[in-house]
Amino acid sequence: METWKKVAIGAAAVVVVGGGTRAAGLWGGSSAGNSKNLSFQLPTPIQTLDISKNTDTYSGTIIGNSGANLMRVDSKGKAQLELAKSVKHSKDGLTYTVVLKDGLKWSDGSKLTAKDFVYTWQRIVNPKTASQYAYLASGVKNADKIAAGKAAVDTLGVTAKGDTITFELERPMPQFEYLLTFANFMPQKESYVNKEGKKYATTSKTSLYSGPYKVEGWNGTNNSFKLIKNDNYWDAKNVKTKQIDIQVVQKPETAVQLYKQGKIDRVSIANTPELYKANKNNKDVVKAPEATTSFIEYNQTGKNKFLANAKIREALNLATNRKELTDQVTAGISTPATGLAPEDLAKTASGKDLAKTVAPGYKFDATAAKAAFQEGLKELGETQATITITSDADSPAAKSTVDYLQGSWEKALPGLKVNQKLVPFSQRLKDSQTQNFDVVVTLWGGDYPEGSTFYDLFKDGASYNNGQFKNAAYNAAVKKAETTDALNDAARDTDYKNAEAALFKDNNINPLYFRSGYSLQNPNVTGIILNTTGLNQDWKSAVKK
Amino acid sequence: MWKYILKRLLLLIFTLFLVITVTFFLMQIMPGTPFNNPKLTPEALAQLKTTYGLDLPLWQQYLNYLIGAAHGDFGTSFQYQNQPVSMLIGQRLPVSAQLGAQALVVGVIAGLFMGAASARNKNNKIDGTLGVISTLGISIPSFILGIVLVYVFGFKWPLFPVSGWGDSFSQTILPTIALAVSPAAVTTRFVRSEMIESLGSDYVQLAKAKGLSAKEIVNQHAYRNSMIPVLTLIGPMAAGLLTGSTLIEQIFSIPGIGQQFVLSIPSKDFPVIMGTTIVYSAMLMVMILITDILTAIIDPRVRLQ
Repeated sequence: METWKKVAIGAAAVVVVGGGTRAAGLWGGSSAGNSKNLSFQLPTPIQTLDISKNTDTYSGTIIGNSGANLMRVDSKGKAQLELAKSVKHSKDGLTYTVVLKDGLKWSDGSKLTAKDFVYTWQRIVNPKTASQYAYLASGVKNADKIAAGKAAVDTLGVTAKGDTITFELERPMPQFEYLLTFANFMPQKESYVNKEGKKYATTSKTSLYSGPYKVEGWNGTNNSFKLIKNDNYWDAKNVKTKQIDIQVVQKPETAVQLYKQGKIDRVSIANTPELYKANKNNKDVVKAPEATTSFIEYNQTGKNKFLANAKIREALNLATNRKELTDQVTAGISTPATGLAPEDLAKTASGKDLAKTVAPGYKFDATAAKAAFQEGLKELGETQATITITSDADSPAAKSTVDYLQGSWEKALPGLKVNQKLVPFSQRLKDSQTQNFDVVVTLWGGDYPEGSTFYDLFKDGASYNNGQFKNAAYNAAVKKAETTDALNDAARDTDYKNAEAALFKDNNINPLYFRSGYSLQNPNVTGIILNTTGLNQDWKSAVKK
Repeated sequence: MWKYILKRLLLLIFTLFLVITVTFFLMQIMPGTPFNNPKLTPEALAQLKTTYGLDLPLWQQYLNYLIGAAHGDFGTSFQYQNQPVSMLIGQRLPVSAQLGAQALVVGVIAGLFMGAASARNKNNKIDGTLGVISTLGISIPSFILGIVLVYVFGFKWPLFPVSGWGDSFSQTILPTIALAVSPAAVTTRFVRSEMIESLGSDYVQLAKAKGLSAKEIVNQHAYRNSMIPVLTLIGPMAAGLLTGSTLIEQIFSIPGIGQQFVLSIPSKDFPVIMGTTIVYSAMLMVMILITDILTAIIDPRVRLQ
């Protein structure tokens, strides 16, 4: 009996101490719900605050909200002036002249100048920096040469004079204004970067901020820190939130539960189909679009002779029920694909969604598929075909996609044998790039809200064409878009439509679904701007009622 | 004794060298590069490899790493831009160490009490119940228990925070319990068998004959003698806790060394994988060494040679 008494006393002590300290507020953590501070969650720890070197989405969210660029994307998806007073381009689109606003300051109060922009562009293309995003600057004079180590950094076509920055381009770039909103091109102060040296941007104390908020309390590895309003930001009067608490919560289920307890203001529910199904009827659900397409690449080098045959590819495309696939694989979170360019990526000149305008008419037709398959086999003098689908072993969605394709294709096309090859992501990437595959499922996300971020994939000489197909009509359309029509939005929309039609006609690829997400968001929080490319969540104007 | 310790330390360095070598070459078998970005063109990839010295012949990369490591330079993380591995691990190790230490203290103390209670009530209900609990404790993996604790004390009765570290002490409670259960169970079973042996020994018989009460016998005599072997358990248990906390750190979003290790493998962050492996092996070997020395100190029959 004595033991039981001890246990009981011990338990009572735990409850009393626990309850007491909790009531006394020693437990911290729950700033949301009772103040104007916002509280957001990230699913992985952030990796860096280095503007040039970051590649991670969530680090990018923090960098983008603590930095400012020449332009910033507004709630309608258009680039608006931010640190720039004016952005003008020459008639040929090869020179951009940007004048800075007056009195711009860094978070430490020092002057923010045009030189800070020249430095940031030089730093990202400098091979010594080893930025994985140097390719984004491609098109600016000498950027590619510098990145390849074949030209000096100061030959880059970005120069400053007084408060004016001049960009010289090698070719007209319809997306250039959006590059001026990019987090990777936000200004950096050379003297500061040199002073901090190796420690630069590895903690919140060794970083300098130009944006709406400053980061505080990030020591390089910890999982909770803050964004504090930056009073030196040019538009500080329009930043109404004084503090945003950030915490890393790695388990999606835990994050959703914390949301329901009012401890965080926004959380994704799209991580797994189960989580989505359990929460999709919650009144706080909001859509979080992503400009990402899942599509199939067919190896058209002749390595697998069936896939080099246009009829067989047509049969596979017709045998793909994209609606059913999307429902089964993503529980309806994503949308069936209608082409290569995803929905919510970009708008046409007349303001419509680009994906809807260019859709060439992918459809599911089991009868036509069967006929095309027989025709293709006949052309090859075969009675049956075997193909292998390669995909990622480390993604549950990839596995179920392959399962679905295998089952439905074999059912729709008698005589077809489908094998699965699931390998780790990095292996799949290598296999794709070395044409060591028959059929591979690829995910591609856009970098900026303009069609070329997708249509450049398969253009002449591009290294991303893993299927290695040649499509003259496609090449002609894309070439026209980036040369003669580079500054004509409406004509470019037509070019992209032609490019999609060419891909569709030759069955070069097979678009599966447009990935998208859903989140729960505190209805009292307004003003978050969601972008499908660039800064995914802009908290500049976010406020809690 | 000192000669022995010196010998063991030299052996430790040699073993570390072997660990570095094996890990280094095993990592080369992993597919891909640390730059797992489908958007990189082959030219850009080649340029990155040159910058980081990954295009050098393997033996040269290996040699460079060894020379760096000998100078205390374990390289810079690919995933955490600019951050030296020594700093990454240096900041995360104390977090894992605190978690491990708390779990060890709680686990061993709980185990001592339960083991003693079990032994004194040998073969009755209390012993049976504690037997079942300790069997469960040994067989349930800590991460399953972690999830159960999150569900029960985080959601059903939200008494404790279920995620994060460093904001308040309460955040450490659930992960500590999840990790403490296994050492508690091991200690319970160990103490129980040791204590039963002691209770049957001659000196306890003598104490009984002297007319001491059962409580006095246990506290004064049996407990002390059965605690000695428990000391030798602490070394391996501590090492086990440090390595075993990997999944617990994931579940509770704790920025420890285990979380780092897990994240660095799929991203092929070579320097971090190497650094973490070295730290883990060094810790394990030091723990074993301490245990051996402790055993020798406690039990004079053991000779160190």
